[in-house]
Amino acid sequence: MAPIEVTDLTKAYGDVLGVDSLSVTVEKGEIFGFLGPNGAGKTTTIRVLLGLLAPTSGSATVLGADVTDEAALIEAKRRIGYLPANLGFDEEATGERVLEYFASIRGDSRRDELLEIFTPPLERKIREYSTGNLQMLGLIQAFMHDPDLVIMDEPTAGLDPLKQEGFNEFIRAERDRGTTIFFSSHVLSEVRRVCDRVGILREGHLVALEDVETLLDRGGKRVRVQVAGDGTGLGDLEGAKTVETIGEEHQFTYTGEYDALLRHLSSYELVDVEISEPPLEDVFMHYYGSDVEEGETANEGTETPLASDTTEATDA
Amino acid sequence: MLEIARYEAERRLKGTVALAVGLGILSLFFIAFFPSFAEIDMDSYMEAFPPAAQEAFGIASLDTIEGFLAVEIYNFVWLLLLGLYVAYVAAGTIAEDVERDRMDMLLSLPVSRTRVLTEKFAALFVPIGVLNVVVPIAVYAGVLAIGESVDPVDLVMVHLLSIPYLLACAAIGLVLSTVVDRADVAKRIAIAAVFVLFLIDSISASTEGLEWVGNVSPTAYYDPTAVLVESSYDLTGAAVLLAATVALVIVSQYQFRRSDIGT
Repeated sequence: MAPIEVTDLTKAYGDVLGVDSLSVTVEKGEIFGFLGPNGAGKTTTIRVLLGLLAPTSGSATVLGADVTDEAALIEAKRRIGYLPANLGFDEEATGERVLEYFASIRGDSRRDELLEIFTPPLERKIREYSTGNLQMLGLIQAFMHDPDLVIMDEPTAGLDPLKQEGFNEFIRAERDRGTTIFFSSHVLSEVRRVCDRVGILREGHLVALEDVETLLDRGGKRVRVQVAGDGTGLGDLEGAKTVETIGEEHQFTYTGEYDALLRHLSSYELVDVEISEPPLEDVFMHYYGSDVEEGETANEGTETPLASDTTEATDA
Repeated sequence: MLEIARYEAERRLKGTVALAVGLGILSLFFIAFFPSFAEIDMDSYMEAFPPAAQEAFGIASLDTIEGFLAVEIYNFVWLLLLGLYVAYVAAGTIAEDVERDRMDMLLSLPVSRTRVLTEKFAALFVPIGVLNVVVPIAVYAGVLAIGESVDPVDLVMVHLLSIPYLLACAAIGLVLSTVVDRADVAKRIAIAAVFVLFLIDSISASTEGLEWVGNVSPTAYYDPTAVLVESSYDLTGAAVLLAATVALVIVSQYQFRRSDIGT
């Protein structure tokens, strides 16, 4: 059985649907990125998986345990680690005391090993911890009982790039030991460097489930160009979308081949060129088209996220 | 088992010791006043109180040390203030952890919600137990120091019988902690609830035909004045309070098990 299986999961808060008939499966030994803008239902899904919220309908299992079966879920939690978005540690306790406490309930066979990688000031009260130290303490508690599955909610929010690379390295090493990792993020660039597969959530629906490479190919590149002259026809290129001109800068998203792009650009007198990864919002636009109407999003069961205009780009 | 209770008890210990020292000193302070108090014409002083107030503070005889202790320390500090305090603290147990995201972490451990709630409640034995050990020692020493005497058995019983009472007050707070989302609100309602119950008991006792209404209040089942002045121990009352505590804890467990944690 897959470590996480979610089938037609719906969670309603009154009339509002936090998650709307979501189905997703996370395979053993993969790093799965759960991607979506804020408010898409990522945290709600995670809280259902941990048994903190009861599903309105549908089902979910973690390590084979039905999340609505408390006894089964408790057994599963011996082999699950959790890193919440808001690390709710007892501020008055020292890091050491908190680890002792969690260890007394769930075990800590890998604590010493982890303390060689992460070095929060354990003897100090958690009230005095910086964000980075809190995050380290959170990672230690999530991994120290040698779990088979670790669920993390926005684990890289607030980490500087250097720390983030360290985090990625650690996560990959954990995956290589056979641990399944499920984490949410709203920043594509964080996810792409470390995830094997990505699920994109939007307004409570899973709209895409992809290998990271495929996702990035489809998402394309963001191109910013500044040219001498008025730049007429700059965006007139197959694979260029959402062409915008902001001041002297021309901006578009490009899903074609580099050669074609560079050939096209070389016919202008270039002042500045920047080709970068697009922000998540732009990738979304490619998945839904740039102007998704209210009526379209309200349609139930629109599980056809791949707009036809992106298919040509992936052939390239 | 009991890891949660042990951890929570440890957290409460520091505050409890401070409170025990404070209440011990307050008791000694009250007792030190007794000699000068006893010289006043007590009967006319007592008659100046309206009947409801006499009832509320269990005023029987202020000119004996037992009657004095019953009013100043046990009816006022123990029954009212401490009752409010434990209800207030208990009202924070669940709601505060949920509000501060601590409950997410705790419930990610392999523990049932029933266990979390029950062990957190059990940790409230720390303040209740410690205060009931430290304060009677201070009171007894104080009484001896001013050259008076009090029956040690009565003194032990007035504390022993207060434990079911305080547990019942704590259980009222606990229920509110699982029902009300915001910890601050839960704590304020808990204080108001225990205070209102206290008033209902005092007022109904002196209202003809409505004496039974007071039976809803935990204060009806613990009478420090009767214990100290008449050496009469209401064991049935204690049993009622313990039964009510168990019932309220079960209600809280039910409520906590079925509620969504955070949103």
